[in-house]
Amino acid sequence: MITTAIASLAKDLRRKLGADGVLSAGSELIVYECDGYTIEKNRPDAVVFPRSTAEVAEVVKLCNRHDVPIVPRGAGTSLAGGCLPLGGGVVVMLTRLKRILQIDLRNRMAVVEAGVPNIQLSRALAGTGYHFAPDPSSQGASTIGGNAATNAGGPHTLKYGVTLNHVLGLEAVLGDGAILCLGPVNDPAGLDLLGPLVGSEGTLAILTKLWVRLTPNPQEYRTLRAIFNTVDDATNAISDIIAAGIIPAAMELMDQGIVAAAEEAYRFGFPLDAGAIAVIELDGLAAGLDEQQGRVDALLRKWHAREVLQAASAPERELLWKCRKMAVGAVGRLSPSYCIQDGVVPRTRLPQILRRIAEIGGKHRLRIVNVAHAGDGNVHPILLFDERDKEQVGRVLAAGHEILEECIRLGGSVTAEHGVGVEKIDFMERLFAPADLEAMRRLGRAINPSGRLNPGKLLPSADGPSSKAACGLAQKTDAAESAANGPLRS
Amino acid sequence: MAHYDHDSLPLTELVAPADQTGVAEAVRAAAEQGAPLYPIGGGTSLDYGVRPVEPGLGLLLGRLQRLVDYPARDLTITVEAGMTVAALSKRLAAEGQRLPVDVPQADRATIGGVVAAGLPGPRQYGRGTIRDYLIGLRAVDGLGTAFSAGGRVVKNAAGYDLCRLLGGSLGTLGVLVQVTLMVKPMPETSALLACSLPEWETAERLLSALIQTQTLPVAVELLAGPTWQDDPALGPLPDSCVGWLVVGVEGSLAEVEWMIGELREQWRQAGIDAPLAFRGNRADPLWERLCEFPSPAHDDGRGEFSIQASVLPGDTVGVISRLARADPACSILAHAGNGMIVARLALEPDRLAALLESELRPHVSPLGGTVVVLSQPPGASLAREAIWGPPRPAQALMQSIKDQFDPKDILNRGRFVFPSTCP
Repeated sequence: MITTAIASLAKDLRRKLGADGVLSAGSELIVYECDGYTIEKNRPDAVVFPRSTAEVAEVVKLCNRHDVPIVPRGAGTSLAGGCLPLGGGVVVMLTRLKRILQIDLRNRMAVVEAGVPNIQLSRALAGTGYHFAPDPSSQGASTIGGNAATNAGGPHTLKYGVTLNHVLGLEAVLGDGAILCLGPVNDPAGLDLLGPLVGSEGTLAILTKLWVRLTPNPQEYRTLRAIFNTVDDATNAISDIIAAGIIPAAMELMDQGIVAAAEEAYRFGFPLDAGAIAVIELDGLAAGLDEQQGRVDALLRKWHAREVLQAASAPERELLWKCRKMAVGAVGRLSPSYCIQDGVVPRTRLPQILRRIAEIGGKHRLRIVNVAHAGDGNVHPILLFDERDKEQVGRVLAAGHEILEECIRLGGSVTAEHGVGVEKIDFMERLFAPADLEAMRRLGRAINPSGRLNPGKLLPSADGPSSKAACGLAQKTDAAESAANGPLRS
Repeated sequence: MAHYDHDSLPLTELVAPADQTGVAEAVRAAAEQGAPLYPIGGGTSLDYGVRPVEPGLGLLLGRLQRLVDYPARDLTITVEAGMTVAALSKRLAAEGQRLPVDVPQADRATIGGVVAAGLPGPRQYGRGTIRDYLIGLRAVDGLGTAFSAGGRVVKNAAGYDLCRLLGGSLGTLGVLVQVTLMVKPMPETSALLACSLPEWETAERLLSALIQTQTLPVAVELLAGPTWQDDPALGPLPDSCVGWLVVGVEGSLAEVEWMIGELREQWRQAGIDAPLAFRGNRADPLWERLCEFPSPAHDDGRGEFSIQASVLPGDTVGVISRLARADPACSILAHAGNGMIVARLALEPDRLAALLESELRPHVSPLGGTVVVLSQPPGASLAREAIWGPPRPAQALMQSIKDQFDPKDILNRGRFVFPSTCP
């Protein structure tokens, strides 16, 4: 019966998308069991590859008819389990929506389909004098639709803002298969739906097309690396720079552990004995950079930076950023498994949170290395472990929780840019009061009344897990299947 | 306390709660009776939206002006919604910081009102809007329940962005009682460079060229009509000219000087020989007029409508020339970098409605743009569609959000795009 239900769904999907647009054999589905968050896995009932917004809408309507969850997915780089097919259902791959439709310099915007990789837009813009500012470390793979769905950040959000600040308009498929178009012209006659849809992690709509803002390339960069003996000195210097009213384009921190990994992988020439390295990029008009650099330099020296070096050439700058952005990947050299956390504190609390992270690591006998978008107060502690050792996994989870609790205690949040997904869902009740969560649920009920879009993500349900909404065909009982096709949540 | 204009709203009574709990109680009481409630900040935008007809309670928020938290080194501030923008700016200035959002009548306008109205301003081109700075809020929904959204950190991906949702919602989803804002360091100096335009084609040529320079203007404004005919700062507009282009820059002294030099050179190549430059304090009066967009005095005492057309930046000049043709007596302030054109028109209501209906909206809609009425003179009472334009495709979705947050439709009933539910 269950197998028949899946077969019938797959048959309907194939009728709409063609044989090469649907995967439903068990072996083909393994890849889609999880995304960058590998702690939980579950196999979807089917994976589809629509080529257009209209096909996405057809898929959504079919999923409604078959009463299965719909899980949108871009490149699958989410570190929070945003693409985990919790309870099965249909994973909707957006990667075939991959056209850059328009680059419109006069209006400083580009129109792209959701599956365009972030890096591809940057490449297409080379030579125009403009770029797409959001630059998550995953940008080589992650899609612009995914960046928008998770409101992704990156090093340069410090000056340029997160993805939301760069989305002017969007086209999306709603939970009932209707197509919604917002922007790119800002319309005062109505609610700002762009805000809540961006960052909704696929729980309100499937983004299919985006109008994004283009940002003028800076006239000049000054990319500095400051070498510190201690993490404390580095975080104090970073806090002081912000407090002095200087907002660099980016201000990143790497501690000794991560520097060692990056150095082994990329041979940049970082000193291995440094307690921490701050990568600080100043950009803008050449006319203003000497003065800014002078002020930054003075604050770095005040906090005992033993060396401040400037990238001497464009290739050196690119290599430095590559090392920073690929540093997390290099951690694989240090440990068989690792878990990267995403927490944020008010920027002046940076020294405290990094001290506490070290203490928590000690307490749980875990090695933790750190990268941080330090200027934003956004920390990414990376917990090293061996996933074959269940006892270690338990300690990693406990330490991760303690770090996030500490972020909350210091006035911060449990995710700055990776999103809630399934990973942080239990923290929402610690971060927000019941009335706050209820306000978010109302938005969810208004936009995704059936609850079929990416169920079990972002928001804990008011009355425990909504098992039916989060239930794919393979998990369904006959009784549930024969239930009427009504809204799953009131 | 507030100098609000009674005539704009059909108020039966006024309450001025002393604190946030008082606001929640007032909303709860109104919700129980199902009676409309009109939140009032500084009362500077009470003419914005449809003139409500159903009598209701005026909820004054001016007593909520507490500074809740100002960790200046974090560049964030949390204040109650009734604090005036002037008071907020003063606090920030003491730390060398600011909220880079232009607000007219800042000594009256409250920060809650600024968020709720979400109106554009000149610096929007380079600095964004209030919604880009709003990182947290506390509001009271239509049933009297207080809720918070966002937080106090500058980067936060936890949950739905309700801050953006409430921004520009004209108080129809919740009464704002507290906001947390990201603030910025005060720039060292600013300057404005202005030139008169022999015809609108010149404006588009200069604007297109501006896109390709390495200058980073924060404001790009086009001005036309009586308000700017003999501006105290700009002086008389030469007879043969249609209007002004004004470009604003900010930064360190060295940056500002470099940009002014670069722009001068670019304009010289385009045949503009003697632009006016206003630097430092000398730029302040013009900045103020760009923010306030003062109304020219009408000898016959006629009131004015103020409207806003929103289009892609490249379509700005087309809309301006159409407006100037349709009503040569109108005054225009266009935030040209953002494609937002604000115009003041001293027309009879019927004539204005006809202009919107048969001239402007048919021109702007195919461009993906919209036209709304920002304010109407005393006595005028345009219909919902005349003010906001035809319902948008997302109207049903917006209505279902409204129904979730204000099921009894008490918050600013009838003023925004939501039709009054009462017969």
